[in-house]
Amino acid sequence: MKTFTDKMHTWGRIWTVSAIAVLFMVPLGVTLYYNAWPEFSTLWKALISVIPIYWATAIIEVITYTPLLGAGGTYLSFVTGNITNLKLPCALSALDRAKVKATSEEGEIISTIAIASSSITTTLVIAVGVLLFAPVLPTITAPDSVIKPAFDYVIPALFGALGASYFSKHWKISILPILAGVIVYILAPSFAVGTLLFVTIVVSIAGALGMYKLGWIKE
Amino acid sequence: MTNFKTSGFMYALALMVVAFVTVQSVFFIVKSWKRAKELGMETEKLKQTIISSALFSLAPAISILATVLALASALGIVLPWIRLSVIGNLAYETVAAENALEVLGSSLSSEVTDPTAFSTIAWTMTIGSCFPLILLPFLCKKIHSAMGKATSKSKNAGVLGDILGAAAFIGIIAAFIARCIAGVPSDGPSAGVMTVATLVSAMVFTVALDLLCKKKDLKKLEPFVLPIAMFGAMGIAVLLVQLVPGIAEMTWR
Repeated sequence: MKTFTDKMHTWGRIWTVSAIAVLFMVPLGVTLYYNAWPEFSTLWKALISVIPIYWATAIIEVITYTPLLGAGGTYLSFVTGNITNLKLPCALSALDRAKVKATSEEGEIISTIAIASSSITTTLVIAVGVLLFAPVLPTITAPDSVIKPAFDYVIPALFGALGASYFSKHWKISILPILAGVIVYILAPSFAVGTLLFVTIVVSIAGALGMYKLGWIKE
Repeated sequence: MTNFKTSGFMYALALMVVAFVTVQSVFFIVKSWKRAKELGMETEKLKQTIISSALFSLAPAISILATVLALASALGIVLPWIRLSVIGNLAYETVAAENALEVLGSSLSSEVTDPTAFSTIAWTMTIGSCFPLILLPFLCKKIHSAMGKATSKSKNAGVLGDILGAAAFIGIIAAFIARCIAGVPSDGPSAGVMTVATLVSAMVFTVALDLLCKKKDLKKLEPFVLPIAMFGAMGIAVLLVQLVPGIAEMTWR
């Protein structure tokens, strides 16, 4: 008898392979429709400067995010992207609000529903924005627009809101990783946040493990 | 022929991608919902998850939309729209497009007028960003089952598992908080008065709204706490920039 998580993996694999097909239909469509075949040497030169970093990052991302997102959530998140700045925080906050454990089957269900809802919302907001508001949007997001700062500071607003609920519950665990992150940024101000995640997650887990062994934290 | 970038054909491609992503997400919601009912989970909890996740995604979605526009002057609006709807994120797509244009002897500051250049960019963006999807069918299940074994092996697996799970999440949030306090991101404003003020406002709003929910027993308000706090903090950012001239330039990095 297949468990629900096993089924998620089967569906996820089918959808992921289909997603790759859909993804490649775009450049293939452009090439065939406009009869515009790129020169192999040009494409190769462009790719060779992109692939080493992107594909290495891809391996790191798959290893880092897969354990955190759940099965269904992982397959969905990697198709629509924007994982660190949207899908992951969205799943975290949903798990927190529903008061279920990430590793339980309920957690799997909640994170999948959360990420799917987030994907639909994002896709539709972008689509509606492009189709209806394309003519007026440049004025809204122009550098001198009054509400431009709102979009500049989405990340602090998002992680401040998300952090508040986690930190108030687990303040002992929170101090070390924040401190570690700040120290890294003092030494290397433009350090990529995707790589920093590795550092802060390891520090956070090591710190929590230490505090648990010392009896500082019990639940 | 310069309007090929926004032809009906390009829009058809974009709508195909939008339809695919939407159908896939609906499929997973339906399957999860059915399983949740079998397990006896409350419908209210599931509904709240959908509502709060959708609301939570609004502000970031609008900021992604803004990045579509940033690429639109060179590439037309449709290709950036497609690329940021699937896998894409601004940093990746911009760098991929710039690399391709550089090889072609051009840059993102000027409009692409040659269909061959355009297709070269489309191929570069797609091949560059597709790798996670190729890895997932092979790795996802392996990683999850390895994780399951690791957590079930240790004694006190339950309590310790919960603590370590929370610690991993806190690690993620900590990286972004640290960036707001001391970082110089490539895709946003540097750490300074504004990033910290927005961060703190969001925290204060969240704590205050959480307290309000608990004190007045407002179950209905709970899914809205994070989105309201986010929009509230973004509103504070707009106000501060209007009221304190030059505050956006007060950065310490």
